[in-house]
Amino acid sequence: MRKCSVYSLNSLLTFNQYVLNAYYGQDMALLKALEELHRLSREDFQRIPELAINPLGDRIINAFFPEGEDQVNFRGFMRTLAHFRPIEDNEKSKDVNGPEPLNSRSNKLHFAFRLYDLDKDDKISRDELLQVLRMMVGVNISDEQLGSIADRTIQEADQDGDSAISFTEFVKVLEKVDVEQKMSIRFLH
Amino acid sequence: RRSHESKREEKEGGNTEIKARIPQRKKDIRRKRREVFGEDEWSKAEKSCNGKRKRDWKTSHKEQKEAKNREKQIQRKKEKQLKKHSSSPSISNSSDNEFIAEEEMAHIMEQVEEKKKVIATIRNKPWPMMKKLEVLREAQAFVEKFEGALGKGKGKKFYAYKMMMNKKWIKFKRDFDNFKTQCIPWEMKIKEIESHFGSSVASYFIFLRWMYGVNLVLFGLIFGLVIIPEILMGMPYGSIPRKTVPRAEEEKAMDFSVLWDFEGYIKYSALFYGYYNNQRTIGWLKYRLPMAYFMVGVSVFGYSLMVVIRSMASNAQENTGEGNGDNFTFSFKMFTSWDYLIGNTETADNKYASITTSFKESIVDEQESNKEENIHLTRFLRVLANFLIICCLCGSGYLIYFVVKRSQEFSKMQNVSWYERNEVEIVMSLLGMFCPPLFETIAALENYHPRIGLKWQLGRIFALFLGNLYTFLLALMDDVHLKLSNEEAIKNITHWTLFNYYNASMWNESVTRPPLHPADVPRGSCWETTVGIEFVRLTVSDILVTFITILLGDFLRACFVRFMNYCWCWDLEAGFPSYSEFDISGNVLGLIFNQGMIWMGSFYAPGLVGINVLRLLTSMYFQCWAVMSSNVPHERVFKASKSNNFYMGLLLLVLFLSLLPVAYTIMSLPPSFDCGPFSGKNRMYDVIQETIENDFPAFVSKIFGYIANPGLIIPAILLMALAIYYLNSVSKGLARANTQLRKKIQALREAEKINKSNKASAAMKSLQDTNNFKNTNQLQATEEGKLCWNSPLTPLQF
Repeated sequence: MRKCSVYSLNSLLTFNQYVLNAYYGQDMALLKALEELHRLSREDFQRIPELAINPLGDRIINAFFPEGEDQVNFRGFMRTLAHFRPIEDNEKSKDVNGPEPLNSRSNKLHFAFRLYDLDKDDKISRDELLQVLRMMVGVNISDEQLGSIADRTIQEADQDGDSAISFTEFVKVLEKVDVEQKMSIRFLH
Repeated sequence: RRSHESKREEKEGGNTEIKARIPQRKKDIRRKRREVFGEDEWSKAEKSCNGKRKRDWKTSHKEQKEAKNREKQIQRKKEKQLKKHSSSPSISNSSDNEFIAEEEMAHIMEQVEEKKKVIATIRNKPWPMMKKLEVLREAQAFVEKFEGALGKGKGKKFYAYKMMMNKKWIKFKRDFDNFKTQCIPWEMKIKEIESHFGSSVASYFIFLRWMYGVNLVLFGLIFGLVIIPEILMGMPYGSIPRKTVPRAEEEKAMDFSVLWDFEGYIKYSALFYGYYNNQRTIGWLKYRLPMAYFMVGVSVFGYSLMVVIRSMASNAQENTGEGNGDNFTFSFKMFTSWDYLIGNTETADNKYASITTSFKESIVDEQESNKEENIHLTRFLRVLANFLIICCLCGSGYLIYFVVKRSQEFSKMQNVSWYERNEVEIVMSLLGMFCPPLFETIAALENYHPRIGLKWQLGRIFALFLGNLYTFLLALMDDVHLKLSNEEAIKNITHWTLFNYYNASMWNESVTRPPLHPADVPRGSCWETTVGIEFVRLTVSDILVTFITILLGDFLRACFVRFMNYCWCWDLEAGFPSYSEFDISGNVLGLIFNQGMIWMGSFYAPGLVGINVLRLLTSMYFQCWAVMSSNVPHERVFKASKSNNFYMGLLLLVLFLSLLPVAYTIMSLPPSFDCGPFSGKNRMYDVIQETIENDFPAFVSKIFGYIANPGLIIPAILLMALAIYYLNSVSKGLARANTQLRKKIQALREAEKINKSNKASAAMKSLQDTNNFKNTNQLQATEEGKLCWNSPLTPLQF
């Protein structure tokens, strides 16, 4: 436990500098909220335009807030952002026996998986897929076609025949995607 | 000291990353850095100062002051360390010592490579910003300093110079590439259309843009090498008979109706063949205009051919890149299609539309691949459909032939009615309006994938339009032959007129006779200019018809459906007429045939290409607007084929077809005797002979004489045919090797998958067994009480 907390404090402090740099240009209000009240609410996040027009924007915002709460403090904010830290090659060999760092490939994918899995049962069911499709595509495609798209997706990804996409199957689908690169925030000026 | 030495070791081992696990204060970091690079800074302090100052203008003043402080401290450290480490290898100043030891060189090179790697990967490191900036600056300074030092002796400066030029060149290339990408016109428009209407509609606009580029080049060629020299250096209007409006036409020459028909002043201008004089050289530059005219005419075809074939080849190369073979199409679209960096609402709308379109395209592809096919029925239906369509084509072909024959008889009669005069055009327009929809209805029998169906439709309408072309050319050739046969008669008339004018009895005095005014000289009918005028008229009427069709057919229809829907009995939008869809095949073929007309007519009317450039430009904007405002996407949106090769193939065919009439007239018809740059010659290509004889040294004409010998040309053609055969078989062999390699890779992947799943299932099984065993053990423990200790069984035991 102690080791975990020291490590997490470490990673949090490492993030300290450049996250503030990153958001400095974007939203003064966000920064102010961060500094003054040391707490963020959902409205503060919705002020970021990229999140506002994202079909999954609400879910991403929800990922910052722990269960049932409406405010997130700095530590919680950092914890979520730590998923997007780039993976450094040397770190791979460091801590084999300790807990997996938050920015490992598996944890990054888990973050993405949780965006789709609303009821947190570790499976993406057909209904959850339909909800995501409706958000992405809206009314431009008929409902039956949406249903067949969802069925086809499950058919492609499902390997153990339970008509839902588990986390391992999700990982398999995205095995060719360079998640370490794409789900990392890389900063320099 | 321990940390100091360890830092030195790290540096010498090539590892210069400063691993600061605990956030250090800035001063500590700077001090450590100074110690590491103390020796380097010591000898190259000045150069590094300069380098740092160059970069410092970017940073804030505060940091600049800190940097200066650092420099001062470095100087102080320098003196201290001079005393301490006099024995260590010194990396000497370039100006002092030109000799650098071999091991040192290798060592430095290693370090330089190391630093370059650091610069390249610095973005990915999870370090604080200040640390990143410092490390970056050091690395850049180091590289800049020592890269120059890698050259040997006197070549050192040259080497440094070469490196610098190399870097500048790379940067220039990158900037130029960026600039070129920004220069591509209409990219945003086409992207918008693509996201709303799918890639097949966008492929038409991409083709249009490509066509515009080709025409622009042709326009540059013709304008720059033929029209401009004539205007600048040729004889002005009114100086010789061919450049003047004849007396008889003079009063009406400025009327708009006459100008619209391209007679009058326009006919006697640099836009048409007849204006050009057959003087061998013009102006003080001794510009050989007839030669230039001929060569430009030939190179128009040559350039077009080259560009079309190059485009086809590059498209074909893209295709042979490996196909993904991914079995996760829908999953990918589901989970990875949104671009998270979009912050603009308009872009977001486009992205929504494009995601929808891409889903629809995939659905169509899926449906097509899942269709259950009753092979025999399908084949029978397809044969039936083809038979019907061939009947239609033959019928229309005969109809055209019949009508053209009748119009030739009509032209000999007097008192022809309006209908009889325009019968050919009316029949052609009617055929063009009704046959394509007829073909589409019959093609519904065939049940092809929409992409393949589009290709068939294009081919059939193409065959129909060929009939169009045939009649037009036939009419034109008849006209030309008629004019040619009249030429002899007119030649005699001209000679007699001039003769009579100069020998008339009233000119007995010794007063110099004024030459006959050019407008009064009797003219031959210049068949080339007539041909040019015909093509220009055709192009202009084509432009008008296209624009009016779009306005009426698409825009007014959309307005009607939109506004009349409120007060109409049935739902106009859902039923008839509803909004129109964009007619891809009609537009593509229109574009291709239009280009064929341009190719045919540009030899006889150099101004035609300019008109076409204007037409393509306005057409781009007009059609983009019309598509976005009045059309709806197709019911079944399908992905365009990956290459535009089908359109290019049709274009190539049309290019050859349009080359034939021009080549025939150049080779076999004599040019008019009193107009154009080749007047007076026996054949147009005689100008080449003449140029070779007069302008080149004697041996060149001998060489050409030998080359033109059939005995040399026929073996050359045979050789080229053999080369084509050889290259073809080589490429087939390579393609075969390619597919075999791909199969091997696939087999390897399958084998890996099977292995992995076997291992996974074995591991699962062992885990399950351990669990079972553990469970039974625990049960025993609880049952037997404290005596039976719960042995720590691990999976390793199994």
